[in-house]
Amino acid sequence: MATLHMLSHSPFSDNRLSSCLRLVGAADGVLLTGDAVYALQPGTAHYQALALLADSIALFALEEDLQARALSAPARVGVVDYAGFVELSIRFDKVNSWL
Amino acid sequence: MHDMSAKKSLLIISRQAPWAGPSAREALDIVLAGGAFDLPIGVLFLDDGVFQLLPAQHAGAVQQKDLSANLQALPLFGVESLYAAQCSLEERGLSAAPLSLTVECLEDAALSVLIDRYDQVITL
Repeated sequence: MATLHMLSHSPFSDNRLSSCLRLVGAADGVLLTGDAVYALQPGTAHYQALALLADSIALFALEEDLQARALSAPARVGVVDYAGFVELSIRFDKVNSWL
Repeated sequence: MHDMSAKKSLLIISRQAPWAGPSAREALDIVLAGGAFDLPIGVLFLDDGVFQLLPAQHAGAVQQKDLSANLQALPLFGVESLYAAQCSLEERGLSAAPLSLTVECLEDAALSVLIDRYDQVITL
């Protein structure tokens, strides 16, 4: 029952990402959307925390949210458009939106 | 488990403090509604959500409606799978505090196992 965890809040003003990383399962995925993509700001603790995640945990970020914020994703992050977002939500058994 | 196969199990993760906004109450409303329809349902109190479990809160002092009655109603609605994140309790100095509900405290590793067990998850 792999879960896709979807985050949309900035990790710098909120602990959703930190809590998510504490309970993420080895076969789960994490999708960063909206201000959650700020976690990919290089040189930050959140960037480091994502880099240290087990390789089995798939990381994704929404392309237009990266572009809007002048961020780029490191190689291990899968960059997806909205069609890819839909595809991911089907590929995983369930989606956990951190509202 | 076979008679449950038509009904999808649901885990609600409640992670907001009781008076921080409507989230805590809305999470409980979903749980009670699900319980009324006999859905296999569980609740995990995470982050500030564990503050909902403190006894002797006075909602009226901040012009809010009491949540504790809703919490106490959970077992009556057949919702008996109640969990709290041990780390969230510890971070908030509550690991030894009396709580208003009997919950199973789970370490981090057990949290992902718990989520795995359910068909659907809603985090509020």
